[in-house]
Amino acid sequence: MSDPIIDVRDATKTFGGLTAVDRVSFTVTRGEIFGIAGPNGSGKSTLFNLMTGIPYGPTNGEVRFNGERIDGRPPHAIARSGLCRTFQKDAEFPDLSAIETLQISAVYSGGQSAGQALENARRAIDRVQFDEARAHMPSSELSVYEKKQLMIASALVSEPSVLMLDEPASGLTKPEIERLDALLVDVNKSGVTILLIEHVLSLLLSVSERLLVLNQGAILAEGLPADVVRDPAVAEAYLGGRD
Amino acid sequence: MKPAARNIVLPLVCLAALLLVPVFAIDSYTRHLFIIAFLYAIIASNWNLSLGHCGVFNFGHLTFFGVGVYTAAILAKTLGVNPWIAILASGATAAAAAFLIAAPVARLKGIYVVLVTFAFGQLVMQLVLSQAQITGGAEGMVRIPYLRLGDYSFLKDYKLGYYYAALFLLVVSTLFLLAVVRSPFGKSLKAVRDAEEYAAARGISISRQRVTVLVLSAIFTGIAGGFYAIYLRVASPDVFGFGTLSLALSMVLIGGTGTVYGPIAAALALTFATEALAGIRGLEEARFILIALAMILVLRIAPGGLLGIIEKLDFRDRKPAAPAVARNGP
Repeated sequence: MSDPIIDVRDATKTFGGLTAVDRVSFTVTRGEIFGIAGPNGSGKSTLFNLMTGIPYGPTNGEVRFNGERIDGRPPHAIARSGLCRTFQKDAEFPDLSAIETLQISAVYSGGQSAGQALENARRAIDRVQFDEARAHMPSSELSVYEKKQLMIASALVSEPSVLMLDEPASGLTKPEIERLDALLVDVNKSGVTILLIEHVLSLLLSVSERLLVLNQGAILAEGLPADVVRDPAVAEAYLGGRD
Repeated sequence: MKPAARNIVLPLVCLAALLLVPVFAIDSYTRHLFIIAFLYAIIASNWNLSLGHCGVFNFGHLTFFGVGVYTAAILAKTLGVNPWIAILASGATAAAAAFLIAAPVARLKGIYVVLVTFAFGQLVMQLVLSQAQITGGAEGMVRIPYLRLGDYSFLKDYKLGYYYAALFLLVVSTLFLLAVVRSPFGKSLKAVRDAEEYAAARGISISRQRVTVLVLSAIFTGIAGGFYAIYLRVASPDVFGFGTLSLALSMVLIGGTGTVYGPIAAALALTFATEALAGIRGLEEARFILIALAMILVLRIAPGGLLGIIEKLDFRDRKPAAPAVARNGP
């Protein structure tokens, strides 16, 4: 495979007697959109957690980013190295405004000076089309869609090389999902590799170049999206057995 | 009230009023109350930096003050160091003490931070009591050298010099706090307080911010402690007592955590309120019960403190009417 940017080998996460992620291995190529699917509880978010160290790393196995092992590194150091993620649940800094959220993301994750970060934050605000009031109100007052926009924008403002999105389309309307689709393609064209966990299959199949399906913590299928969705094992995992 | 009026004009008006106080309050007792209020304001507002802005439940903050008190006392009296330098050195030793306690606290959460920081305060107090040959033990230290500026003694003119020196310290401390909370570092503290995982995902080191905020909050608290020792000419282990700690905490909580001016305003109000209540027969000791009740009431009605209410009302006035404008994708 040419130019791998992420290489996960035998990643395992156990909680007591429960194995949430079981010897998962895969490689992501620089510049691609890599989709991750699976039923609820299949270990998708846990996989993101152990890759980013937030809030925990793997119990066993290794995660390489740009050829270097990152498992065991502090989570903030992983983010600063260019691996930036969003969360499935709403995440916000309720007392900070959108522009402040973007500024500190650019400073700490992107390593930008305060002035440069503020300039990039203003540019990102224009991009999400927040008006002056919304740019400066506490984030807790924003709508669900605006909070999602802000979470993605706060990752992008640090200019990451990999963007990891955990169910960004959940709770969005159809037109909002279409705009998200366009955004992901746009971001990807600018050179950012994307890992996308998504339950909205139309979005996932539309943008992903390759697809990984997890079930009960292990890899069920991997390959081109069109091939993966035709896999009987995948259909069974989602819909249940025939008997 | 517009933000500019609230953040610039009102504080400047208050400062101008405080500069004029000695013109009207010519007795040393009233000036003494103001000096103590200024020192409490420094303690409370700096405590608020770690507790309110970063959410570190540091119950050892008064220990930094105590370290400042004894640093100035020992340097000025035992070692003969100039009291001005002794006061400044108090900030350095308090910051060093904060660094020591910050290391184990940085990775702890909630009640464990309370326990460790409180235990640290008790440890320092026991150290002071056990090293009587240096600290005076339970008796403390008295007749500590006072401040002079050239030939001018600060004991003259009904504490006029001490009044302006304490006010100057409060102003410098407040400017320092404003600079910190308005910087990206200050904003990252709120991020750490409210959403640790999200903050880490945006490159913010949780433990480093906690260590740094504890050290920064100790600098002016230690300087205030040094000033307190030189001003009262006494260093006593009472400064580590629960009474001082709970009064300072009530100033932070009543004034408003997460604001800079709230604890300062509360410190001024509560210092005079407790003093006024002390003059009422039967309330000499019970006044602290009233302060505690006020703290519970404020926390129940307005968890953000009294200044938090004003900020919320301000925001409600400025809030845009439309539910959402941005509908065209990020």
